[in-house]
Amino acid sequence: MSTSADDLRAAIERQFGRSLHIRTLDTGSCAVCEQEIRLLAAPHYDLHRLGFFFTPAPRHADLLLVTGPMIRAFEVAARKTYDAMPGPKVVVGVGACALGGVYPADPFTHGTVDAVLPVDVWIPGCPPSPLALLHGLGVAVGRLAEKVRDLPFTAEDQPERTRGDS
Amino acid sequence: MTLWFVRGIRRGIVTTRYPARPEESARFLPTPPAFRPRELNRETADRLAQACPSGALTRDEDALVFDVGRCTACGRCAAEASHAVISSAAWELAATDRSTLIKRIPLRAAAP
Amino acid sequence: MTPLDLFYVAAGAWACAALVGLLTARAAAGLLACCALSAVGGAAAAVGGGWSLLYGDTTVVSPGPATVVGGPLQLQATSLAGVFAALLGVVAVAIACYAPRYHTPSPGTGCYLAAYNLALIACLAVLAAGGMVTFLVAWETMSLACYLLILRHPRDLQVARGAFWFLALSEAGFLLVVAAFVILSAKTGSTSLAAIAAHAAAVPGGWRAAAFLLALTGFGFKAGLVPLHAWLPEAHPVAPADGSAFLSGVVVKMGVYGIALFAFRLAPPLGAWPGLVMMFAGAVTAAIGILYAMAEGDIKRFLAYSTIENAGIIVTAFGAAMIFHASGQRALWALLLIAGIYHVANHGCYKSLLFLEAGVTEHATGTRNMDRLGGLVHRLPRSAVIAFVGTLGIAALPPLNGFVSEWLIFQGLFQGFRTGSHLTGILIVLAAGTLGLTGGLAIYAFVRGFGIPYLGMPRTRQAAEATERRQPVLGPALLAVACVALALGAPVVLYALSRAARTVTGVTLGPLLLPGDLTVIPAHTDFAALSPTYLAVFLVCALAVPLLIYAAGRPRARSTRVPVWDGGIVAFKPRMQYSAMTFSAPTRVTFDALYQPSVSVTRPSDDDPAGRSGPVHYEAQVTPVFQRYLYQPLVRSLEWLSDLVRPIQSGDVNLYLLYVFAVILLAYLLGAV
Repeated sequence: MSTSADDLRAAIERQFGRSLHIRTLDTGSCAVCEQEIRLLAAPHYDLHRLGFFFTPAPRHADLLLVTGPMIRAFEVAARKTYDAMPGPKVVVGVGACALGGVYPADPFTHGTVDAVLPVDVWIPGCPPSPLALLHGLGVAVGRLAEKVRDLPFTAEDQPERTRGDS
Repeated sequence: MTLWFVRGIRRGIVTTRYPARPEESARFLPTPPAFRPRELNRETADRLAQACPSGALTRDEDALVFDVGRCTACGRCAAEASHAVISSAAWELAATDRSTLIKRIPLRAAAP
Repeated sequence: MTPLDLFYVAAGAWACAALVGLLTARAAAGLLACCALSAVGGAAAAVGGGWSLLYGDTTVVSPGPATVVGGPLQLQATSLAGVFAALLGVVAVAIACYAPRYHTPSPGTGCYLAAYNLALIACLAVLAAGGMVTFLVAWETMSLACYLLILRHPRDLQVARGAFWFLALSEAGFLLVVAAFVILSAKTGSTSLAAIAAHAAAVPGGWRAAAFLLALTGFGFKAGLVPLHAWLPEAHPVAPADGSAFLSGVVVKMGVYGIALFAFRLAPPLGAWPGLVMMFAGAVTAAIGILYAMAEGDIKRFLAYSTIENAGIIVTAFGAAMIFHASGQRALWALLLIAGIYHVANHGCYKSLLFLEAGVTEHATGTRNMDRLGGLVHRLPRSAVIAFVGTLGIAALPPLNGFVSEWLIFQGLFQGFRTGSHLTGILIVLAAGTLGLTGGLAIYAFVRGFGIPYLGMPRTRQAAEATERRQPVLGPALLAVACVALALGAPVVLYALSRAARTVTGVTLGPLLLPGDLTVIPAHTDFAALSPTYLAVFLVCALAVPLLIYAAGRPRARSTRVPVWDGGIVAFKPRMQYSAMTFSAPTRVTFDALYQPSVSVTRPSDDDPAGRSGPVHYEAQVTPVFQRYLYQPLVRSLEWLSDLVRPIQSGDVNLYLLYVFAVILLAYLLGAV
């Protein structure tokens, strides 16, 4: 997808804004990201109300949701799945493993999905909650704005609090 | 069956309204850390980098480099230097550009 | 000049071909000469057959010596036999083009070709027979010549077994046919077929029905009606490919011709029930034939069972024709006769084609087993295209000829409500339903029959290394052209057939079959209509539309070529494809009451369920129902009977003298009385 950012966003929204078919791909994860992805179809989060659907067939898919650190044994299958998807297509890397964390590159793992597939959207988390996944999918189709660009992750402007406090 | 139906109707709709409306339960989510630059000197930064099992924290010349993408929100950095680390409460972290997930937090200028 | 003269030319050419073959076929030039003569004879027979369709029945002629084997030699070229003769000619020409490249020049080939040409002459004589004795002599000659034909490699046990099955069942049928003829000629007092036909009304109804049933059973052995079909799957795989093509394409049709002869000319029975019996027999044959075809992995056995199915369809059509005749629906009577004969011509063409292609495949890969083939469309492209034409025809898919003839048969059967009797109407509908099941299963079976050997990836090295060099192409190509011509030229063919039907039934269909404008209607204007020519044109144009869209949109659309989605596995192995048995597994599960399958699994050690200590042997079998429950008990009871009677031949001279004395005494006593 090599057009300018605005054209890209407009194209994505025009193509995928209303209905998107998602194909999940597990490249060697611990399957917790898959559990969170599966929860998306549950009544509490219900991604069908947003027009997203899961499909097992890459030929019907618009978006490839990749988890796992891309082990080398899976490389052929990942490329074949990506190639089988008709364009335009979006690849989303999900979870810390896919983004390069947890597992470094070694003889058995690439360590990051980027090594094999061209990733368009990254969703950090371990695992990313279904809400974070919904935000990521919204960013992928151009319906939601990215927020992390403007977050400094510094604490000056935040009140003192620890994790889990209400 | 009827009881379940009635109870369910009384409870109301449980489906989240996100993204149209903010989600209340999001405040319980585990989130990546945020850092206090005033508490960060080189030694603290090195200890934090050592403590992170995922390789999200490294130190270069004058900044703590925090890769949000690699963070697993395990909390070891907070346990290591609790004065310097708090929870960021940020969970909408999707990014189209990988470089926007790499944050540079400036270290305190003076040595400890 | 009459068509009979052309038949003389054909017979003469074939006789020369037999001689030439016998003497010189050990050299390639001799083989070629024999086949050329055979082709000339075939062309003469085809033209003569086609001409006699339009000419009508010639007079009965008694050429040559006054008697042959106890009766006069009588010949007559009839309209009904014209189609069969034309089919014989076309198939003979195709096989003559095929044989030089298929057979290697040798003395054995010479004997084979001599037997083959003798069989051709005998078939033509059966069709041109004007008298009972000529018919029977020619019939028996045909059976014996075909026996020699099948026995190309007599040292092979399987070949001998297949040939023996053919001969045994042919002889059993022959006895019944002789009985049928004897009844008729005794009751009408003549041996000439034309005279018997003319006096058919004088034969009492009971005798007529008896003769008809004897003929149905006797000719049914040859035509392949269930349960008399057992020789077909045994003899076809072991005969050479062109021999199998001849057997399925022509000899089986001789049986059908015999049935048609008795049903429509010689002994048209009173009442509807003989027609019901025939229709029921045909429907059951069709269904069982295709069901057994689904369970076969050997290409030639599969095609043999498909022949049984098509013979069943033809006999069903004839049976329904008789029912309509009995209830006074003369137009439908003629229509179903025409449709049946049309299906004879069609099936002869595409079945011969498929058998010839099976021979090409066997020579190119060394095996007839579908599970050892695969991907032949890349290795044998021309054969694959020709086989595809034959497959489309036999699966009765538009726009080819099988579709038109089966459409006509179905339309005739659907008008069963016109018989006026509720019972016959319902039974005709049931037969139509059975034929519908058969048609669906035929498509399924032939998707398998074409897809497993020709499409996909080669399953063995032999399949991957098959080559089309020096394989015969002209013969099968001729038959493919004939199939297409029969389809596109359906109005012409049907016009010729309606002339034949007029000679047999006296009904002129004319506008009730071909109302002009290249359309075909089934005998009543208010029922249905089809134009095979326009359908073919429409299909070709319809295929062109997506191509035009693609061509028009090509500059703007960007397309990428990627491999087929296979689930993302690293490498697709040929063993992962469907095998012939697994593709037909749903049928075998649904109809397991008929197949009674048995599975046996043997492991080297019983206390190791996973069989890790060695190979596991898995065998799945379909029970040969008819052989086990019909033929073997019959054979066993015959053996028991002969054991019982054996003491008479004790070998004791004194006992034999006693027999002689007893017989002389008996003769004196009877003479005195």
